[in-house]
Amino acid sequence: MSASPAGLVAATALCALLPAAGLPPYYLHLLASAFLLATLASAWSLLAWGGQISFGQAAFFGVGAYAAALASIHGVVSWAALVLGATAGAAAGALVSAAALRLSGAPLALATFAFAEIGRGIAINWERLTGGGAGIVGIPALPGPASSPRAVAYYLALLLLTVTLSIFVWMARSRLGLALAAVRDDAERASLLGVNPAAWKLCAFALSGGLSGAAGGLYAHMVRVVAPDLVFSAWYSLVPLIMATLGGPRTALGPAAAAVGLYLASELVLQPLVPTLHQVGYALALIAAVLFLPGGLGGLVGRRRNAAS
Amino acid sequence: MLQALVSGALLGCFYALVASGFALTLSVTRALNLAHGEMIVAGGYLGYWLWAGSGLGPLWLMPVAAAALLPMGWGVHALLRRLPEPRELTSLTAGFGVALLLQDGMRALWGSDYRLIADSALTASLRLGPISLNRGRLAAALAALAVIAVLWVALTRTRWGRAARATALDEEAAALLGINTDLTGRTTLLLSAALAGASGVLFATLHYVHPAGGGPLVMVSIVLALWAGIGRMRSLLAAGVALGLVETLGVAWLGPGWRETLVAAVLLFTLLARGGSLARGMTAGGHAG
Repeated sequence: MSASPAGLVAATALCALLPAAGLPPYYLHLLASAFLLATLASAWSLLAWGGQISFGQAAFFGVGAYAAALASIHGVVSWAALVLGATAGAAAGALVSAAALRLSGAPLALATFAFAEIGRGIAINWERLTGGGAGIVGIPALPGPASSPRAVAYYLALLLLTVTLSIFVWMARSRLGLALAAVRDDAERASLLGVNPAAWKLCAFALSGGLSGAAGGLYAHMVRVVAPDLVFSAWYSLVPLIMATLGGPRTALGPAAAAVGLYLASELVLQPLVPTLHQVGYALALIAAVLFLPGGLGGLVGRRRNAAS
Repeated sequence: MLQALVSGALLGCFYALVASGFALTLSVTRALNLAHGEMIVAGGYLGYWLWAGSGLGPLWLMPVAAAALLPMGWGVHALLRRLPEPRELTSLTAGFGVALLLQDGMRALWGSDYRLIADSALTASLRLGPISLNRGRLAAALAALAVIAVLWVALTRTRWGRAARATALDEEAAALLGINTDLTGRTTLLLSAALAGASGVLFATLHYVHPAGGGPLVMVSIVLALWAGIGRMRSLLAAGVALGLVETLGVAWLGPGWRETLVAAVLLFTLLARGGSLARGMTAGGHAG
């Protein structure tokens, strides 16, 4: 764990130099997308730290994307719109946690899955606000120099990922991380020791939702269109689950590194070779991770339950 | 109103068949087979392909599709029995992976086209007094009822059924009593795949199938399995009819766009109302006695 901050700083510095090194816009966009997925994976592992497995990060991503997009097309400055997206994501996270207070394990995973599906349904059906199935088009681009329009989004995505990773490193050492670890290992004992599981779980959900919402808002301004099947797609729930499980959810850099690596490998290698089978790589990786990782997902949801079964 | 009640009940019978394989698997192996929806869609594609090629009636193709999906059940069981604990969660995750694999497999085999078994014998409507019934929906409901009746007999009157119910109640105790729980799990998964194949053919006569269409089906299956509880096959039918009524009345009130959202909301409220355990007879951490 002690190597994480140094590695983080080095990787960030390296990535910050890439646009100046003259990387073509397409690759900047690709990397920025990879950073957003890495942010989602890292935000997912913030939840997993407390033993909460989410199958519905798309809910927070989508809420953030829609909030930022709506603010932007109604004339709010882009920066403020991005902050609004993050806030909306955090609020959605807090709402999910407050509603699903008593759930854990598989029931919680299913509940988050249902939340994302409900978000998608609202985006499709509340046409006056969201534009229905067609979504919102014409979201203004991020302000920046005309010479390199992709660079601004790239730096923002890099900044968001760095912030997310820093929060994870800080969380792992803070009171929040300790409390969540106690809740994960044995919620009952933790509450007897004066830790309030509900409050800390809510904190984790709001943090994770806020970071995912920020990623959604940035995505909306990068692609400049949001639609229900685009931003509420189960894809954004699956990817963090796969990447974080593979990368090792207890490590600071693992989920993000797995996300960037897998996404680039899939887009640059697998996709051009076998375009119809682009999910196969992710699917096999996920199944292998569940089967063969030491501790695996089981290690994520607490010792007590494992011992009991 | 009466029309909506009748079509809701018919839909519910079909839903009970859709969920039967998923509920059986959950009962006997404690695994949430998230790929169940994709298996049904695969049965639907297979049914369409056979129907377009042979012109046989869809009802006759149900056993063929059921038999064709047996290897899939074998494969899923081979995966499930290797999963580490907690099995509810790891099966959910691995099932997601299997669902993605099946989606891509179907895309590679059959493309992304929407397919419907538009059999002329099933599109006509019957009039019964004040209500009109679509023959296809009626046939699907009757076929579902027939399969469920056979399933109920198999569960209550055969050696396999006793073994399956004992394993569902307590896997360890069943093993101590000399029941081969691994074999019971495998036959359950084989049966579950066959049920998915058969219900897929019926599904393709009612709805367009496409590779990514398994999501709503598995959501329905989860809701029904949670409502019916562990090892309670008969209440699956009641749960199916209840969900069919909720959905039909809800859609009549809110509009057809809300159908899937409504099922998701029902799933959410069911989970919240359960407060931690997945289904009656099942605790959050493992088996109940």
